[in-house]
Amino acid sequence: MEITFEHVTHSYEANSPTASLGLDDVSLTIKDKLFTAIVGQTGSGKSTLVRHINALLKPTSGKVIVGKRVITSETNNKNLKPLRKQVGMVFQFPESQLFEDTVEKDIMFGPMNFGATEEEARKAAHTMIKLVGLDESLLSKSPFDLSGGQMRRVAIAGVLASDPETVILDEPTAGLDPVGRLEIMNLFKDLQEKGKTIILITHNMDDVADYADEMAVIHSGKLIAQGPPKEVFNNQELLQDDVLTLPHSASFAKELQQKGFHFDKLPITINELGTEIKQQLNGD
Amino acid sequence: MEKIISIENLNYTYPESKKPAIKDLSLDIYKNEWLSIVGKNGSGKSTLTKLIDGLIEASSGTITIAGQVINEENIWDARKRIGIIFQNPDHQFVGATVEDDVAFGLENQGMPREDMIKEVDRALALVKMSDFKTRDPQSLSGGQKQRVAIAGVLATKPQIIIMDESTSMLDPDGRKTVLDLVQQLRKQQDLTIISITHDIEETELSQRIVVLNDGQIVKDGKPVDIYDLGSNLRKYGLEEPFSSKLMSIIRVTEKLPEGYLSEEELKQQLWKLHSNM
Ligand SMILES: Nc1ncnc2c1ncn2[C@@H]1O[C@H](COP(=O)(O)OP(=O)(O)OP(=O)(O)O)[C@@H](O)[C@H]1O
Ligand SMILES: Nc1ncnc2c1ncn2[C@@H]1O[C@H](COP(=O)(O)OP(=O)(O)OP(=O)(O)O)[C@@H](O)[C@H]1O
Ligand SMILES: [Mg+2]
Ligand SMILES: [Mg+2]
Repeated sequence: MEITFEHVTHSYEANSPTASLGLDDVSLTIKDKLFTAIVGQTGSGKSTLVRHINALLKPTSGKVIVGKRVITSETNNKNLKPLRKQVGMVFQFPESQLFEDTVEKDIMFGPMNFGATEEEARKAAHTMIKLVGLDESLLSKSPFDLSGGQMRRVAIAGVLASDPETVILDEPTAGLDPVGRLEIMNLFKDLQEKGKTIILITHNMDDVADYADEMAVIHSGKLIAQGPPKEVFNNQELLQDDVLTLPHSASFAKELQQKGFHFDKLPITINELGTEIKQQLNGD
Repeated sequence: MEKIISIENLNYTYPESKKPAIKDLSLDIYKNEWLSIVGKNGSGKSTLTKLIDGLIEASSGTITIAGQVINEENIWDARKRIGIIFQNPDHQFVGATVEDDVAFGLENQGMPREDMIKEVDRALALVKMSDFKTRDPQSLSGGQKQRVAIAGVLATKPQIIIMDESTSMLDPDGRKTVLDLVQQLRKQQDLTIISITHDIEETELSQRIVVLNDGQIVKDGKPVDIYDLGSNLRKYGLEEPFSSKLMSIIRVTEKLPEGYLSEEELKQQLWKLHSNM
């Protein structure tokens, strides 16, 4: 499903003296079936942006088009169920979306809410829990009696269980151990390759380089760049202004350039970097 | 070296659980040390910090803080020495505004109001959140919440700071700012830092890394010794440092020294190889 923002501005507490712009005239297209990363500094507006996609927030002005659905300041809260079924969202703080008294019920909630039978939902819960790297024995525990990383995984399982066609992930790997992070990122990539649209907010530029087809950079509520990661991370202007951090491989390459090495374009993944170093050392 | 925390044969099982979360764990932490605690999700890291801060009570074993064995009577004293930044900052907020929230810990210490205002301003400036003073902490972005939680702890000037993944939602620059700040305070104020993290680069700042697995300490050593475990780190849910991963790609065709090299050392090696071509 293609998602388009047309001149979207979002003002928090619009009618109060402390009004502040969460989004400032953002126009952006998120392409169907691709893996898009959204990056930007703390407080730049990333969470605000994605919350418009399933109408948790509405534009103060402008419109958001999600498939056939148009969301404007006038959109009312009725009839949002079909949209919420299509667009699943893993929140930045996983606790905020856990509420049942067992992990199993929690994961089953989504599918049942969208019309699955109890049996189907239970089956989904058992499949999903394993997919996110947790033991089935956790299904009978309270989600609040889990470690931070375990809660995060349950929240992810809960969203994936409803099989949404677009999945929004707001820093889904914060709190995961590195091996778990890799597994979960591969899981998202896998889902995208099977036809889902993935939207990932992250501060991990290596994940952007390794997994995303497209990236968008948000700064002070504005969209300031969009494109394939290799291009965006080689955009000199952005880097000079210090609004974007490089992936590890790119910043290492940049340092290597101080003596001897030369890169036409900064490599952004470790494999690219390793390959280029080997080539340059072999003198070809 | 002077011990600030000494943990002996600690055991803990959550009431609703059959499996112990901490098993016969012993650990000494030294004054002015920066200790990293790492390990898989569910390995017991947060549980250990809750035990140290007296938020939960061990089934058996002892914890000694600044020479005092902790018990129900003196836990409040001990807690004054410790500033803990929780994994989820929402669990930390008590005030209706950011400034009230940061002031809360100082009020508890009985600080006069004028000093308090100054102290709150200072702490918020340190984490670059002065402009958000009058906001409701719940309305902040994820990274802003983490910054305020950090300010709240810094304001009380504890002797021991426990950071439970408290930079996990900061942008790379913000993370660096906070870690540099903590490092600077550690040096100036004789602070002890216990930092729980999944970020291998964050551990490079510490003097010692303890690896937890299934409620037990499985490794305890200097960062270079831990990094030297190479691909064995994955067993404990950890990743290899960037330089090690890069070396294994390059090593296919080029000769590089064995063992762990820091990024700086690797860079020097690569420059040398390049100039010998
Ligand atoms: N309910 C609210 N009321 C007022 N201001 C808000 C509210 N929610 C967010 N903001 C402000 O809007 C700006 C954008 O917030 P947002 O949560 O979108 O940032 P973000 O890019 O997701 O940041 P982070 O990486 O820290 O999560 C921030 O300055 C934030 O303080
Ligand atoms: N309140 C609780 N009740 C019952 N069991 C719990 C509770 N909190 C944590 N546990 C369990 O205790 C074990 C250790 O949890 P802990 O939170 O200490 O892990 P952690 O190392 O901090 O993990 P993470 O990296 O995911 O934060 C886990 O198996 C977890 O499921
Ligand atoms: Mg956010
Ligand atoms: Mg934890």
